[in-house]
Amino acid sequence: MALAMFRAQKSPMPGFGLGMGITLTMLSLIVILPVGALLAQGASYGPAGVWSTVNTPRVWAALYLSFRLAFIAAVFNLIFGTLLAWVLARYEFPGRRMVDAVVDLPFALPTAVAGIALTALYAPNGVFGGLAKSMGQKIAYTEWGILIALIFVGLPFVTRTVQPVIAEIEKEVEEASATLGAGRYYTLRRVILPMLLPAALTGFALSLARAVGEYGSVIFIAGNLPMKTEIAPLLIVIKLEEFDYDGAAAIGIAMLLISFTMLLVINLIQIWSRRRIGHV
Amino acid sequence: MHIEIDEIAKTFGATTALHPVSLPIPSGALVALLGPSGSGKTTLLRILGGLEFPTSGRVLFDGQDATGLSVQDRRAGFVFQSYALFKHMTVFENIAYGLRARPRRSRPPEAEIERRVTKLLELIQLPQIAGRFPNQLSGGQRQRVALARALAIEPRMLLLDEPFGALDARVRKELRHGLREIHDTTGLTTVFVTHDQDEAMELADLVVVMSMGKIEQVGRPQDIRARPATPFVREFIAA
Amino acid sequence: MYDSTLNEPLLSPAEHAAPKWRPVTDESPLTKLVLIAIALGGLAVLVLAPLAVVFAEALAKGAAAAVTSLTKPEAWSAIKLTLIVAAVSVPVNAVFGIAAAWTITKFDFRGKAFLITLIDLPFSVSPVVAGLALVLLFGANSVLGGWLVASGFPIVFALPGIVLASVFVTFPFVARELIPVMIEQGRTEEEAALTLGASGWRVFLTVTLPNIKWALLYGVLLCNARAMGEFGAVAVVSGKIRGQTATMPITIEMLYNEYLSVAAFSLAALLAALALLTLALKTMLEWRHADQLAATRRH
Repeated sequence: MALAMFRAQKSPMPGFGLGMGITLTMLSLIVILPVGALLAQGASYGPAGVWSTVNTPRVWAALYLSFRLAFIAAVFNLIFGTLLAWVLARYEFPGRRMVDAVVDLPFALPTAVAGIALTALYAPNGVFGGLAKSMGQKIAYTEWGILIALIFVGLPFVTRTVQPVIAEIEKEVEEASATLGAGRYYTLRRVILPMLLPAALTGFALSLARAVGEYGSVIFIAGNLPMKTEIAPLLIVIKLEEFDYDGAAAIGIAMLLISFTMLLVINLIQIWSRRRIGHV
Repeated sequence: MHIEIDEIAKTFGATTALHPVSLPIPSGALVALLGPSGSGKTTLLRILGGLEFPTSGRVLFDGQDATGLSVQDRRAGFVFQSYALFKHMTVFENIAYGLRARPRRSRPPEAEIERRVTKLLELIQLPQIAGRFPNQLSGGQRQRVALARALAIEPRMLLLDEPFGALDARVRKELRHGLREIHDTTGLTTVFVTHDQDEAMELADLVVVMSMGKIEQVGRPQDIRARPATPFVREFIAA
Repeated sequence: MYDSTLNEPLLSPAEHAAPKWRPVTDESPLTKLVLIAIALGGLAVLVLAPLAVVFAEALAKGAAAAVTSLTKPEAWSAIKLTLIVAAVSVPVNAVFGIAAAWTITKFDFRGKAFLITLIDLPFSVSPVVAGLALVLLFGANSVLGGWLVASGFPIVFALPGIVLASVFVTFPFVARELIPVMIEQGRTEEEAALTLGASGWRVFLTVTLPNIKWALLYGVLLCNARAMGEFGAVAVVSGKIRGQTATMPITIEMLYNEYLSVAAFSLAALLAALALLTLALKTMLEWRHADQLAATRRH
């Protein structure tokens, strides 16, 4: 039945049935059925039930915290990631290849490892945490700690989406701007940055989506105080530990809706930019 | 504007792109730099435009040394081979770019910018395309928009790198006349680079034949045809 | 129109002429230096410092203490479990990735964009939500889960659940790497092989596979790193049963919460070393097979 939905046009290439069969079976088993089960749980709980779970101060506080900090972290990564992409794509300096590889470390390093490492670093007895303490500040177990963890996990997204776009910019476009009388700074602001914007926004959305759902690197450094430093994914874990499957599903659905919205935004950005400038 | 190229040489590392070349370009002339790829013609054009710095020699504009003058200050209208239009800007914004990039004290007011862009769109005979993006234009339209953009800064000269290179044969013929007309209307000293001898001979007042970083011959098209100065020129224009 | 008053340069040459000429597409050396310093400084603080801390904390009481902690049964069983999970979930994802990429790039069909969106979905779902979804489908209180437990094949709080969670979070990795490369290479080579009488499998093994092998390896590497390191989804489905369903990341959490810092960080250092190895291999692949992998960078 599903195969009929995705019927191929006549093609001499073999393997459509097998390939599509494997794809749809796996997709169903791993992604569609579980997500369906989540939605079904929410449906049986009813919209009123979902709403009553979500509409409590503690859940609102957690969602608001997750969102606000994920957004700030994504903005930081948008700016720093674009700068990083520019430096890596345009400048020659010793060790550039190494630095380029290091950018991907947050993708490769398990989140739990990142979590305990950041906590050790930013706790009051850690290197940076101690520094902050001597200035009367606290980083770990506050919002600042969560923010740092979210910046860490989202760091590579913008750089990795923007870097190839920089590499493809024609030098002639920059030269044209200069021959028209524009200084370098004007060229960067009016010509180059707008060309990078669609890719940068895609990276921003990916970084945001990742940060909203992030769990492993955050729970160690967050302190997890209800209403203060408790993130939304942690609430799901807590509900599950209390065997409150309805409650967990309600928050899960709320987060899923948020993720879908962001996925939609990413796609819209890409369609918009393709229409305007003919490439992503 | 009168341009004087005085013993200009350019090397890139170990390769010599230009042996010292000298060339006076009279004010208001339409000049073709003609030669095969690697002849140094584009390098010479880029040096005139301030995009490359000569290894030695000087460029004089109206008798004044302009060798060290920055690209921005040269006010050379430059049309690139790929046109290098700003893809994220409309045709209007592309043409207005140079005016808006000026420092505030010399920037015309918006109404004046609009008036000038409209006038330029009329000059290139594309008055209705102001709101379009470059990827919605044909090759020929892009070329003319690039020309209008270069003219918008009220350039002191017009420099074009293979202006017809990316176009098909029919459009190419049409736009040749377009360039001639614009040259005649504006009276700007115009230098264009081409590898197509028909194009050079038909369009230019003065043809400069180049090969291997040297100038082989300078002359009016009919003189070059009638009396090629070197075997290279004879062979190249016969091709 | 050209009778403008602007017949002299905007600034006199003396005012503007740079002491040393540089291409117009370059920033000033000072700007470059400042930007490079910000980039390197930022990376050092944000990325390298945490990495260094992992190893420093692991070795805080000497190398011997670190090694001893890794030989404890708890650590051993975690390492074994993680290896088993990766050994199952990575091949599963490789097969899926190849099948999906083949279907998507070699055929035209309606709903292709939708299919790609579905494959990408796990990228934008929180791992915790993924774990939750698996628990709701396969957990003992669901119909399916109840039946599975009764038939002696529990999924949640057992190895299959951990594998499913790992496959979920790494689902798009291989397909994502293969699709751009296969689009770039088109279908002509396969079509040529077919006209020469090769069977479908033969075409795949002798034409397609050699063309995509580096991208495949690249996807497998990323998939492996993530599968071994997954925490959120596994934390939810595994039940965190010590010695049974505690993978390396889960064990790190347990040890850390018990203030067994050296043991936690030693295990973490092992995973960090795996991450570094992954990055090294990835860089090497990119360096040696840049042309083939260029497509994956452009997405």
